[in-house]
Amino acid sequence: MTATYDPTTDIVDRVAGLIPGSSAYVTRHRRDKVAVATQLSYEALFDPHLADLTLTERLLVALHACTLSNAPALGAHYSAQLAAAGVNIELIDQVSQGAIGLIGDPRLLAILTFTGTLIEKPVDGGEAALKRLPAAGLTTPAVVALAQLIAFLSYQIRLQAGLRALQALNVPESA
Amino acid sequence: MTRLIEAHGFTNRVLGWDAWLDIVPLANATPEQIAVLEESHPKAKESDYYLFLVHQPEILRQRSAAFNAIMYAPGGLPRAERELASTVVSRVNGCVYCASVHAQRFEQLAKRDDVIEQVFNDPVTAGISEREKAIVQFSIDLTLEPGVVEPRQLRVLREAGLSDDEILDLIHSIAIFAWANRLMLNLGEPTGL
Repeated sequence: MTATYDPTTDIVDRVAGLIPGSSAYVTRHRRDKVAVATQLSYEALFDPHLADLTLTERLLVALHACTLSNAPALGAHYSAQLAAAGVNIELIDQVSQGAIGLIGDPRLLAILTFTGTLIEKPVDGGEAALKRLPAAGLTTPAVVALAQLIAFLSYQIRLQAGLRALQALNVPESA
Repeated sequence: MTRLIEAHGFTNRVLGWDAWLDIVPLANATPEQIAVLEESHPKAKESDYYLFLVHQPEILRQRSAAFNAIMYAPGGLPRAERELASTVVSRVNGCVYCASVHAQRFEQLAKRDDVIEQVFNDPVTAGISEREKAIVQFSIDLTLEPGVVEPRQLRVLREAGLSDDEILDLIHSIAIFAWANRLMLNLGEPTGL
């Protein structure tokens, strides 16, 4: 695997509104190993070739996580990705409103229910919650990909929120 | 040498961890999986946690790169303060295993355990200096309310003496434990309690 990092496509910089050359951008990129590993994690988790968990399922997990975490800018990114993938607009709207109870597909419902538990109250996600995933047809590698995805989103949501505040702290109010 | 601290189900004792689903037996691991385990942690080949996550080797590779860069990079926020933030986040999220590991690391680095006892008892009031209280409070707030992070919250950190580089390291240390806690809490359980 020879993943490469292109700073012009960095998703956290874009969603947090970090302008190249700004104080917050320069501060973040002094820890470039972290920026690179964050971007390459994102790319690995949304790799179209990842088996066992479809890209649509992964993008819906991301949108649901952003909705529950009050992260609208990041949520808009994942909504746009879903629309670009040709996913039904009604389904995107349902998930962006948190209305996952209306989802009829039991596999997708199990995935989004697990997402809600881990995002909102991870201490409630015990052995029984995990084992509902294989019962809904997920393989063990799919369970690992899903758990890593939800956990990564919890990280990405806090990182972009913190960086947006750091950017605002360094921009004079009069600007 | 180390004083045992236990409160509200948290402990600074050494714990184990067991996965709830099937791990990759080391004998069946591919060369890529072995390489990722070796990059991840010195004891990854003996650990259920890593042997479970290595079902997805490229995702684990990048997670470990992020984790290790955040927690071990030289300069910036002192490593003990990164471990303090990790312990607070783990306490708030209810991750007994992570809280134990990172409480021990804080104690090794800082050569004291007073603030760990405070964090286990009641994180909201923990911290033995204004700087520590500010670090603890921001760790709680970014963990619980990621949707309402304001510049004034970072100004409190600046006023407590943190540089922007240190604030970045703190944001990273808090955020990476949003990630770590959700793997340790939701894929298996601590042993030895």
